[in-house]
Amino acid sequence: MIRLRSLITYGLLCIAAFVSVFPFFWMLIGTTNTSADIIRGKITFGGELATNIANFVAQVDVARVLFNSAYLAIATSVLTLLVSSLAGYGFEMFRSKFRERIFAGLLLMLSVPFAALMIPLFVMMARAGLINTYAAIMLPGIASIFIIFYFRQSTKAFPHELRDAAKIDGLKEWQIFLHIYLPVMRSTYAAATIIVFMANWNNYLWPLIVLQTNEMKTITLVISSLASAYYPDFGVVMVGTVLATLPTLIVFFLLQRLFVQGMLGSVK
Amino acid sequence: MSGLELRDIRKSYGSHQVIRGVDLDIKAGAFVVFVGPSGCGKSTLLRMIAGLEEISGGDLLIGGTRMNDVDASKRGIAMVFQSYALYPHLTVRENMGFALKYAGTPKAEIDKQVNDAAQVLGLGALMDRRPKDLSGGQRQRVAIGRAIVRHPQVFLFDEPLSNLDAELRVNMRIEIARLHKELGSTIIYVTHDQVEAMTLADQIVVLRDGVIEQTGSPLTLYDDPDNQFVAGFLGSPKMNFVAATVTAEGLQLAEFGGQVIPMPPISSAPAVGTNVTVGLRPELFKRGGPAAFEVTVEIVEHLGGETYAHARQGAGAVLTIATDDGRSLRTGDTVTVHFDPARALIFDTNGDRLR
Repeated sequence: MIRLRSLITYGLLCIAAFVSVFPFFWMLIGTTNTSADIIRGKITFGGELATNIANFVAQVDVARVLFNSAYLAIATSVLTLLVSSLAGYGFEMFRSKFRERIFAGLLLMLSVPFAALMIPLFVMMARAGLINTYAAIMLPGIASIFIIFYFRQSTKAFPHELRDAAKIDGLKEWQIFLHIYLPVMRSTYAAATIIVFMANWNNYLWPLIVLQTNEMKTITLVISSLASAYYPDFGVVMVGTVLATLPTLIVFFLLQRLFVQGMLGSVK
Repeated sequence: MSGLELRDIRKSYGSHQVIRGVDLDIKAGAFVVFVGPSGCGKSTLLRMIAGLEEISGGDLLIGGTRMNDVDASKRGIAMVFQSYALYPHLTVRENMGFALKYAGTPKAEIDKQVNDAAQVLGLGALMDRRPKDLSGGQRQRVAIGRAIVRHPQVFLFDEPLSNLDAELRVNMRIEIARLHKELGSTIIYVTHDQVEAMTLADQIVVLRDGVIEQTGSPLTLYDDPDNQFVAGFLGSPKMNFVAATVTAEGLQLAEFGGQVIPMPPISSAPAVGTNVTVGLRPELFKRGGPAAFEVTVEIVEHLGGETYAHARQGAGAVLTIATDDGRSLRTGDTVTVHFDPARALIFDTNGDRLR
């Protein structure tokens, strides 16, 4: 009976692993095959890697596109973490009569879909003269309600006595935040970094709306335009996809240990 | 070292008053312990002295200077917390030197201060470890060390031993008493453990519902409490309280077969027929003797050196009797005990002591 249960468990895990890994595998295979091979469903390595890379480099200003994506993802992530963690810290540390009501109001806004905000946001950005600028991408995401919520919940485990001790040691509130809270909560920051960086790196819809020139386009927009061409070259698309996937994988593996800790709670 | 004066100190959260007018003088170099049940305001009062809670009313003077609006770091105090509050990302050395570093003290001076404190507390071998690599007792010593290096006028301890096991608690208690002797600083110490209060304090302050019930030396409070609350709070096992009625002959104990005991020496005896409460410390009881009464033992607690018997007469109140010749006592035994009525304390129906 136990053996049968193990068999079923391992069988299901194998299927889940296959479903998770196969897209990556197919993506890598795709970079070495022609578009026709990919459409045919060929799942073995071919010899077209160099050609696909050359075609990709010829069609795309790789340095510019990567710079745009990296700049937007890093700058937005840093600002989001700073602003949202400050808000989470404030919500948890400072008593106020309206604290819970304001927080509940913020959480309620999570239920508003982005599609409903797009047009008002676009109008706001247009009026501010920010269309086709980095600021138009960065500003709407900086105060992320989910990240504020995540930091507030994590801050509940932050010992208030550390803040008291720091006050007695002569630290101002901003010094407490910078020198005590930030290092103590580093695994929460790591987990949030992964979430925010991935979201920003993969951000597609909003940049599609507000970025209008090729010089401003990010890697996700470029892949999308390659894939939606009249005769898409899927080998080239796969090279772009690998390039777009690598940074998020690197960030994840660098912060993996802290990410798990952050999900379990920063303060032990 | 400095003394403290608290003048009509108050604390409110909205309309809810938690500290309701505290007046207290603490002499320089004194070891003062705030005790009281949970929620009595003792930690809040300590945090107000520390500058971690705003003072809603009254004046706080440290060393003769009004400190109500002075920043916590500039009050000349250092605080040791129940949870130690050590910075987890810093080593023991960095934790101890943290306040001095932010005060702009030169590195050589910080090293000297930290090393001196480490020597006093025997922390030399632990200086490069982080708090997570230390035991509870070691962490508490580091927390005390962090306080010492600041050379404060006043040390504040907020239930510092509550997270330690029983053996370590006794050791740390002795260590804190030794430190007070060596440093001679003013210490304010909050605890709900009345054994800590009795053993450490020069002066105990008993708090209830945000007011001081009584203040004085440990033995004064133990022997001569102002009210039933203080009498019941200090002492382990706690004082026995027995209902009595004043008669012409003395006090009639209804729950002990209507036995009458002589009225303890008080300046003005209450009128005949008045209901009072008689307070009897467990150690007042002696086995046998004249005017003894019978009680049946319900529970026996053998502590080795002495025995506590919880006994009663019929359906009367349970008495706790402490005896050093109780090894043979067993549940269900009937024993005769007596006490010296002159040492009984009398409280009126409001719980105030009749003297």
